[in-house]
Amino acid sequence: MKKADRIFAIISLGLSAWLIQESFKYDYMTTYTPGPGFHPFWLGICLGVLSLFLIFDTVRREDTEEEKKSYLPGKKSLIRVGLILLITALLAFLMTRLGFVLSVFVFVVAILFILEKYNIFKSILYSALLSGVVFVVFRYWLEVDLPRGWLGF
Amino acid sequence: MDAVHSLMHGFAIFFTPYNLWMAVVGCFFGTLVGILPGLGPAATIALLVPFTFGMNATAAMIMITCLYYGSKFGGSTTSILINIPGENASVVTTFDGYQMALQGRAGAALGISAIGSFVGGILGTFGLIFVAVPLADFSLGFGPAEYFSLIVMGMLTIVFLGGKSITKSLMSGVIGIALGVVGTDVVQGAPRFVYNIPELMDGIDFIVVVMGVFGIGEVLVSAEEFMKMDSIKVPFSKLWPTMKDLADSRWPMVRGTIIGFVIGALPGAGATIASFLSYGIEKSASKDPDRFGKGAIEGVAGPETANNAACSGAMAPLLALGIPASGATAVMLGALMLYGLKPGPMLFTTSPDFVWALIASMFVGNAILLIMNLPMVPLFALSLRIPYSILYPIIIVICMIGVYSLNGRMFDVWMMLGFGIAGYFMKKYDISGAPLVIGLVLGPILEQSLYRALSLAHGDMTIFVRRPVSATLLGIAVVMSIFVSFKSIKKVRSQLAEEDS
Repeated sequence: MKKADRIFAIISLGLSAWLIQESFKYDYMTTYTPGPGFHPFWLGICLGVLSLFLIFDTVRREDTEEEKKSYLPGKKSLIRVGLILLITALLAFLMTRLGFVLSVFVFVVAILFILEKYNIFKSILYSALLSGVVFVVFRYWLEVDLPRGWLGF
Repeated sequence: MDAVHSLMHGFAIFFTPYNLWMAVVGCFFGTLVGILPGLGPAATIALLVPFTFGMNATAAMIMITCLYYGSKFGGSTTSILINIPGENASVVTTFDGYQMALQGRAGAALGISAIGSFVGGILGTFGLIFVAVPLADFSLGFGPAEYFSLIVMGMLTIVFLGGKSITKSLMSGVIGIALGVVGTDVVQGAPRFVYNIPELMDGIDFIVVVMGVFGIGEVLVSAEEFMKMDSIKVPFSKLWPTMKDLADSRWPMVRGTIIGFVIGALPGAGATIASFLSYGIEKSASKDPDRFGKGAIEGVAGPETANNAACSGAMAPLLALGIPASGATAVMLGALMLYGLKPGPMLFTTSPDFVWALIASMFVGNAILLIMNLPMVPLFALSLRIPYSILYPIIIVICMIGVYSLNGRMFDVWMMLGFGIAGYFMKKYDISGAPLVIGLVLGPILEQSLYRALSLAHGDMTIFVRRPVSATLLGIAVVMSIFVSFKSIKKVRSQLAEEDS
């Protein structure tokens, strides 16, 4: 947990430096009132101070046994999460190209077949059912304008 | 008498077939969301908001509110049947609820938790009327300076009482406020932090952030754990608690209501702390505390009542002050603004029909939930048989549709995925997401209040301490901060002393 806290603190420190630097592009004060740069400047300062405090905290304290256990996710978990994200990104990419129904179909097949190890027939069956039901519910019942693809649906 | 009259008027507005239907839909989805792991109330409310745009604000909020406390009803089901809390406020219920289920008393535990939730919800709503009306009257005189100080104090309370690490929660809150800076600024109306990206001109939508952090982030964490759920089966006939169970639960329910309501009304404390506190009190009040953790019905009745009463309590600062007490209520606040209502002290004056119909709906909603939950729990429990491997792709797809339908653009979907990754790591490393969302929703109001207060005072910063209410609120914030820092300094000292010895 200490290492994770330190990484979070360093990212936040970078964010705070960026906030402060960007805030200089806007007026700090107008005649009587704070300008558009006032708020981001002070937010940057607050975040910076808190990040430094967190870094200081990680230096002086020891992880408890429980914290040591809940350290970085294992390699297997990270690969799994990475794959889910990748397939989800593929869905987002395909949505405006293949259209909603087809891309959701591909997405669910990919998740079930590649990640969850369902056999291909089950994957296709569940996927067809899911994409069909979701399409009908959102398109016709809730009247949501879903992304259309090259094929026009 | 005014309140009674207004409440009756609220019932008259509420009782249309459409509003009643919305309450049923909200209760149904709330229970389902409470039962199914991987999607909490905050994400579901955010998910529903885009689909309610064409609806009347009262009907939409009735559905959302019913969903909010419905999730607390449903949350206990998984705690009792599979020892996995459906959501945070039901963690305590696993202690004795699951033990009861193992002893063949799952029906009694489910029954008493539904009855307790009902009692907590109804009495809590009376408490809401009792507190919110005077609170709104008192805060009518609030100017921008008071509002600024109120938000500062509210956010600090949320952080101090909420997450495990105060520093990380504070950072999460500040990052949330910083996200709120993106878009057209309130002072000069010019684009700020936009970098010629037209999609950012209107700012970062809180729904995108909530769906990312609480929706996608949660899915990733749950999917990573290869969740498997084996539920204990409960027959329909065994759902009613015995008279002895009811008698034993009487006082825990009364105490749970009081604790839940008071804790729920404080920003940040919320239903989870209320349920833990109630459990602790029941244990210490019991003649035989050893029974706790081994299937004591009081250990289910108290906390389940408390977490529902806390939901009603949390509505008091939301409706009367416009200050959310948790992630879910922050989303509700955002939704109110999207519907064109102005949450805050003026809400009771400018939109009384809306407020009172909503309060009336809370009485009816709790009754619907009791009816839905007592006899139908086994049906809801069936949903636990859907494997998570099928469930999570559906959740991801629905999150995508929800975010896409906000503005009909893929940019929001990509942004949600980005926040999803952030949400995953936040969850993994105990960085509370609630302050982030609350900061994002309240940030622009905070800046606007600061700007308006200083405009009125011609730039005189002392306005915040010259006005008594504002000074008191800031004073409370300072005292709280000193108290918290003092406690952490003491902790460091004791650690150092231990190391020395």
